Amino acid sequence: MATIKINGKEITVEDNTLILDAARKAGYEIPTFCYQADLMGIGSCRMCLVEIEGQRKLQPSCITPVLHGMSINTDSSTVASARAGVLEFLLANHALDCPVCDKGGECELQDMVHKYGPRTGRHAEPKFKFHEKDYVLSQVIIKNSNRCVQCMKCVRVCREVVGRNVLGALGRGDHQEPTSFNRTFLDCDMDGNCIEVCPVGCFMRLPYRYKSRPWDLKGADTICPYCATGCRMVIEERDGQLLRARAQLGVGLNSETLCARGRFGCDFVNSAERITKPLIRHQAATWAEALASVKDGFSGKEGKHIGGVAAATLTNEELYLFQKLMRTVFGSPNIDSSSRWNSDAASAFIHAASMNEGGVSIFDCMEADTVLIIGSHISDENPVSEYIVRRISSNRRMNLIIASPRAMKLDSSANVKLRHLPAAEKAVLDAITLVINAGKLSEAEKLKAIKDSKMVDLLTAAGVGVDEITDIAKRLSASQSVAIVAGTEFLRFPDGTSGLALLKDVLKNLGKKVTVMPTLDRCNQRGAWEMGVHPSFGPGYATAEKGMDTEALLEAAMRGEIDALYVVGEDIISDYPDREFARTALSKVRFLVVQDIFMSETAKLAHVILPGASFSEKEGMFTNQEGRAQSIRKLLALPGKAKRDLDIIRAVGELFDGSFGPKNAVLVLDEIRQVNPMYSDVSLLFNNKKNSDNRLDNRAALVKCAAGVLPAAGEFASKAVSSRMEEHSFALVTGSHLFHLGRFSRKSETLLGLIKGATVEICEDDAARLGFVSGEKVKVKGKNHEVLATLKTSTGSKSRVAFIPESFEDAEVNRFFRRGEGVPRVSITRANQ
Amino acid sequence: MLSDKAKKEIEAALKKYPNKRSAVMDALRIAQHDRGGHLERSDMEDVAAMLEMNPVEVNAAAAFYTMYNIRKPVGKYHVQVCRNISCSLLGAEHIIKYMEKSLNIKTGETTPDNRFTLSTVECLGSCGTAPMMQINDDYFENLTEQKVDEIIKKLV
Repeated sequence: MATIKINGKEITVEDNTLILDAARKAGYEIPTFCYQADLMGIGSCRMCLVEIEGQRKLQPSCITPVLHGMSINTDSSTVASARAGVLEFLLANHALDCPVCDKGGECELQDMVHKYGPRTGRHAEPKFKFHEKDYVLSQVIIKNSNRCVQCMKCVRVCREVVGRNVLGALGRGDHQEPTSFNRTFLDCDMDGNCIEVCPVGCFMRLPYRYKSRPWDLKGADTICPYCATGCRMVIEERDGQLLRARAQLGVGLNSETLCARGRFGCDFVNSAERITKPLIRHQAATWAEALASVKDGFSGKEGKHIGGVAAATLTNEELYLFQKLMRTVFGSPNIDSSSRWNSDAASAFIHAASMNEGGVSIFDCMEADTVLIIGSHISDENPVSEYIVRRISSNRRMNLIIASPRAMKLDSSANVKLRHLPAAEKAVLDAITLVINAGKLSEAEKLKAIKDSKMVDLLTAAGVGVDEITDIAKRLSASQSVAIVAGTEFLRFPDGTSGLALLKDVLKNLGKKVTVMPTLDRCNQRGAWEMGVHPSFGPGYATAEKGMDTEALLEAAMRGEIDALYVVGEDIISDYPDREFARTALSKVRFLVVQDIFMSETAKLAHVILPGASFSEKEGMFTNQEGRAQSIRKLLALPGKAKRDLDIIRAVGELFDGSFGPKNAVLVLDEIRQVNPMYSDVSLLFNNKKNSDNRLDNRAALVKCAAGVLPAAGEFASKAVSSRMEEHSFALVTGSHLFHLGRFSRKSETLLGLIKGATVEICEDDAARLGFVSGEKVKVKGKNHEVLATLKTSTGSKSRVAFIPESFEDAEVNRFFRRGEGVPRVSITRANQ
Repeated sequence: MLSDKAKKEIEAALKKYPNKRSAVMDALRIAQHDRGGHLERSDMEDVAAMLEMNPVEVNAAAAFYTMYNIRKPVGKYHVQVCRNISCSLLGAEHIIKYMEKSLNIKTGETTPDNRFTLSTVECLGSCGTAPMMQINDDYFENLTEQKVDEIIKKLV
């Protein structure tokens, strides 16, 4: 500990604390441009100069650590004149075109000059200009380097947080320009974090250009509606149009970062394709008519012939009320929240990941000695979780192990990257467990155990080498604490969950602290399960009468046994892994009600369509993958006659039971807190202040342990693929694209501008072997379906693996799948062959 | 494109450094020499590929140092006259003007026969022998009008 004096006030801080942090802790403000917690300090802007007694020159407080006994002055006249001097020099070449600058009104340079700056300029020389006109740096960035203050936060965030490293500081001194290689068009993650950290109008949003002034915007602090990372962001509107989404430094677990989907993809709420009035057999109707029709459709039907599917993009309140409606009003246990995987897989995953034991903070996971990421393409699926992993893993000694069939951006931070065959998570985990167990044996026995036939089988099934597995096992054995990050592949290939549970138990028995964090790809998937939108358990994983999941509902519909089906926000036809089966089955449902914001493939078959609300038009709560409950806030008015989903679900309930409720979101939340012990005391309080210490981990929001005990998971058949294949043959895997997730992103103009048509990704070596080049059109042909897609190559992916994202309409990837069949095989040939 | 010779030179230079990216300045020097005095975009891309770096990092390194001429072709002889304090006090201004007159170009220009490029640079660390200049890889020191005439005459 060091005791120092700041402006005469004595304060004790930890050794190596920066003077800047110490001063802020003591309550003194020090202006900065280039300093940002979590980014490497460069001390280049000189705004934070302070006076240290006994030192003749002023020192940059953002890179100078305190020393015991230091006496520091942060607001002497010398410091004040130094600040004014720095600002005068920054303004010497600054364009001063504030009236036409998008940043005007929220510009740090403006604010600082207003507060500390010289009131007059003395520079008579002509200003240096990098260029005359603003130039477009990517589909989302427009750039004016003449406004740059050389803080280089853009370059550092790109390198240290996003991990793309496509921006560089070209030139030196005041002629230094942060830009791309040769100012060429960027091909990057398009997440706009460089725009977010830019203190001035140098990096600007292209979609937001000249749209508004910050003081004309009205904002709401909310949660991103895409993946389950649960990023806090502020969405802002003007004249009823959502104009932008931005992150806030030091607020939410994401701090200043967002990914492309979050920052640029929320404009789907403005889409002209929104459903704005109720439809009965695709004819416009009033709400009274539509609800009367719903009443007719559901009246007199037995619970076992009724089903309900609610998407994992709804709020907890809506999901809770939905399951209550199904279970108590319709007497039906047939409810589910996903059509991509079956409910047993979900149960097994919840069990293996110990989700019933309460929330696990990602920051706790990153404290572990070893972090194993498996079953998740985290870089594309949960980009901001990936930023957190990259940021923390580069700052401390730890093992980062990534097991995935596909290469990913995070590989560059990993100590070990394992490329296994698709659907082989179980084989990989079992092999690791086997080697860890063998570690307890003597040397001779160990060799025997590793060479035994079971091990050979596992290695063949996983398509990995024994050295890679033993390396991972060694690192796990040598660690005191282990965190396993398990992704959605465990839901697609649920046999892996038993491997996950086994490894977890083995490590625990060895006395290690083991945490498992799930990564999920729908914003409220965890909430949906915890609210009981699942056919085998109720809210809080409480035991419930077993019902049918989406798959079983479709099977029953096929047999003509479903009289009425209520689908909220889910597009079963587009998501169920056998499109034709889903379509045929749904067309046999006698009465189909779809509540959605867009005309989905499923809605096209509906008898009654009820227009719902997007995340920006309602209040409620999402639970992210860690189990953090966070509020979403209403910003926009509902389009046309659309209603909030909670009101619609309640209105449907009231058709049959006048007392159905609770009547509003607040009361529903109260009931959730009573019924579901996991949520009894989670705090939904927003801390809207910028945290001076950048503490992002709001533990009060984590859900607690569930009361109910989950039944043990059943057995699942393996869907593993063999590595022996014909020349053009690939194993097809699917998942989220970096720019597109689910259906909403396909209505976002900005995201469609980034990528419109489907891509198929294979590894570079395979492309070279077959003579393909990246960017050419290829034909992907499976047993059941074929599509044309643009070929993309990746370095370091497993050979013989083809990846097609889920969201693209021109490559309906679920057509490749057939019920009961495993991973589809596809062949890839030139488009014109 | 880098010539095979330059590529071999860079490969050889790599051995002097603890990791590949540390060799970036040496590699750029070889690439610039290979091109005949300046760097093109493709040179930086080639260097980046060889050193497993991102092209923008190579670009940033090249743009930081004045000795690399990015996309600015120079003549056969690149005359760089120091104009820092010691040289200025001892008549660098005059030498620069005299060079301009005798080569009949302005600072920053190249003679029409592509023989000479004249530019001014910051301190070259030879203040004891000011005023001075560098032509390609050689220093010329204690300059006077007469000496400048001789040097140019030799090169022409």
